Amino acid sequence: MTKASTIGSVADRLERLTNLIAVLLETGRPLRLEEIVERVPGYPAERDSYRRQFERDKATLREIGVPISLEALYAFDQETGYRIHREDYELPALDLTDDERVALHLAVTAVRLEGGAGESAGGAGREALLKLGGIEGAAAPTLAALPDVPALPALFDAYRRRARVTFTYRGGPRRLDPYGILFRNGHWYVVGNDGDREAIRAFRADRIESGIEPGQGGAFDRPDGFDPASALRDEPWRFGDEEPVEALVLVSPAQAGWVEADLGGQAVAERRDDGSVVVRMAVTNREAFRSFVLGLLDHAEVLAPPELRADMVAWLSALAAPAGARPAGTAAPS
Amino acid sequence: MTRPDAAVRLRRLLTVIPWIVDHQGSRLDDLAARFGITVGELERDLELVPFCGLPPYTPDRLIDCEIVDGRVFLRFAEYFGRPVRLTPTEGFALLAAGQALLAVPGADEQGSLASALGKLAGVLGGGDGMAVELGPARYLEPLRAAAAASERVEIDYYTFGRDELTTRRIDPRAVFAAAGQWYVDAFCHRADDDRLFRVDRVRGVRPTGEHFDAPAAAPGVSSGGIFNPRPSDRRVTLLLDADAAWVPESYPVESVEAQPDGRLRVVLVASERAWLERLLLRLGPSAEILDPAEVRAEAVEAARRLLTRYG
Repeated sequence: MTKASTIGSVADRLERLTNLIAVLLETGRPLRLEEIVERVPGYPAERDSYRRQFERDKATLREIGVPISLEALYAFDQETGYRIHREDYELPALDLTDDERVALHLAVTAVRLEGGAGESAGGAGREALLKLGGIEGAAAPTLAALPDVPALPALFDAYRRRARVTFTYRGGPRRLDPYGILFRNGHWYVVGNDGDREAIRAFRADRIESGIEPGQGGAFDRPDGFDPASALRDEPWRFGDEEPVEALVLVSPAQAGWVEADLGGQAVAERRDDGSVVVRMAVTNREAFRSFVLGLLDHAEVLAPPELRADMVAWLSALAAPAGARPAGTAAPS
Repeated sequence: MTRPDAAVRLRRLLTVIPWIVDHQGSRLDDLAARFGITVGELERDLELVPFCGLPPYTPDRLIDCEIVDGRVFLRFAEYFGRPVRLTPTEGFALLAAGQALLAVPGADEQGSLASALGKLAGVLGGGDGMAVELGPARYLEPLRAAAAASERVEIDYYTFGRDELTTRRIDPRAVFAAAGQWYVDAFCHRADDDRLFRVDRVRGVRPTGEHFDAPAAAPGVSSGGIFNPRPSDRRVTLLLDADAAWVPESYPVESVEAQPDGRLRVVLVASERAWLERLLLRLGPSAEILDPAEVRAEAVEAARRLLTRYG
């Protein structure tokens, strides 16, 4: 193909695609491929060629979000045809004010989604803005970068349509009614009702090992006032099913302020004159509790209850045994 | 340079036409600015419009496009009167960006952004089940104010990797959120060099009354640049049991190799001793230290040091 004909063909193709959309939007019934080719100029005459060309056009329309549906021509008919339903195609009226468009423009420029596969989501936010009436006002300097994860658009779509999704997670199949999407600690989570466990569960979107298979829309109701942020607890020592126990931890002045900010003021059981504090923690996961305390290094000491204090002493004593106590090459006891 | 392909131009056309249908007589240069293209690109797109329409493609069935004194008028384009729906990728990107900006402390929860997101959620469906948390930010507002006004400040800063609290004067140039934390990009007078500080480790901010020269351009933000191992950083090789498989997902590692016995052999970049101590104390028997040998002694020393509190 010569260069001139390549350039010419972009305009021709654009014209054909535009006419194709107009014809499929305006038709009162599904159109057979032969009828489409008859009505839309620019398809090759030969059957195999126009069929291939139409498949390519369909793929392009899908890529830009134009929904073509394939339907039976008449009731009980085997034959199928194509059309575009106006209600699937058109963006409903949002009636955004100029100020609202300015605010959305600030948002898509201040917040960058990065690292996604294929089309960049930062670009997608901008495309969305154009559909909502274009760019209004100034851009903002970048204020936040969020990771983009390939599974997110499909999870978001299922969440918004209330469709159950299935996917592979840690090697096993999962079925989930997605109630919400949460970004926390640098990761995206999908939160919802786990269909096999009948319990609220959160899954890290970047650890989903398969594509997202969505079911029918409107398959479940979200609980009233569901808040993904409170559904996903962020105090891991409370995230367990062990017998609950209240622990008291003494924190040195150097870390007291941070620990109080992290746990909340109501966790402080005692303030000492040297600036250290004793905090109260409800523990149902002893391992996570131990990790929290060890993270404070020399600045924390488990005071109570005696069993948790003894746990910590035993853990540290095992590590403090002379190096090589665990011979290289042996597996850890399970 | 590559020429925009048919998909890009079609998307553009289906976005611009509805706006012109609603705003007859819009100026070419205003339209180009609004849709982020050049006037030339817009003119090339509009040149095609008169060839588009419905069978039998007689003049009354083709879109009529007139440009008079730089103003655009379209007739017979009613079927393109509305833009195409947002794709899931577009809807997600727009809501995520909006929710993130709304999560910045000090954002106006009753303002234009909140009302725009409300309208968007109404159209997209889904309601308020999407939440973005950018990270703990106790001292965010004074630091952002200082960066905006190019004010030098004194901060108390906890260096996590060395477990020490220091006071330093810094020139904060930019404040940004990445990878679940807020960061301050600043010149540090104590280090006499550029430093990235985590806002959640700032334990106090005081004004100095001094100003610094604002940077010519705001530095770029990327979560990729937050941890850059230096060649001189220590490499530590560990053998991890299955229950410690989270380590390579959460920390910077140079290599991960599954062993025949199911354990993972990882090489970690450990720039600071306290950071490594924490990790080894938490892992306990789930990690075997292969190399270097002195790290084994350091882990024992750390455990003994903590035990003195329980004497």
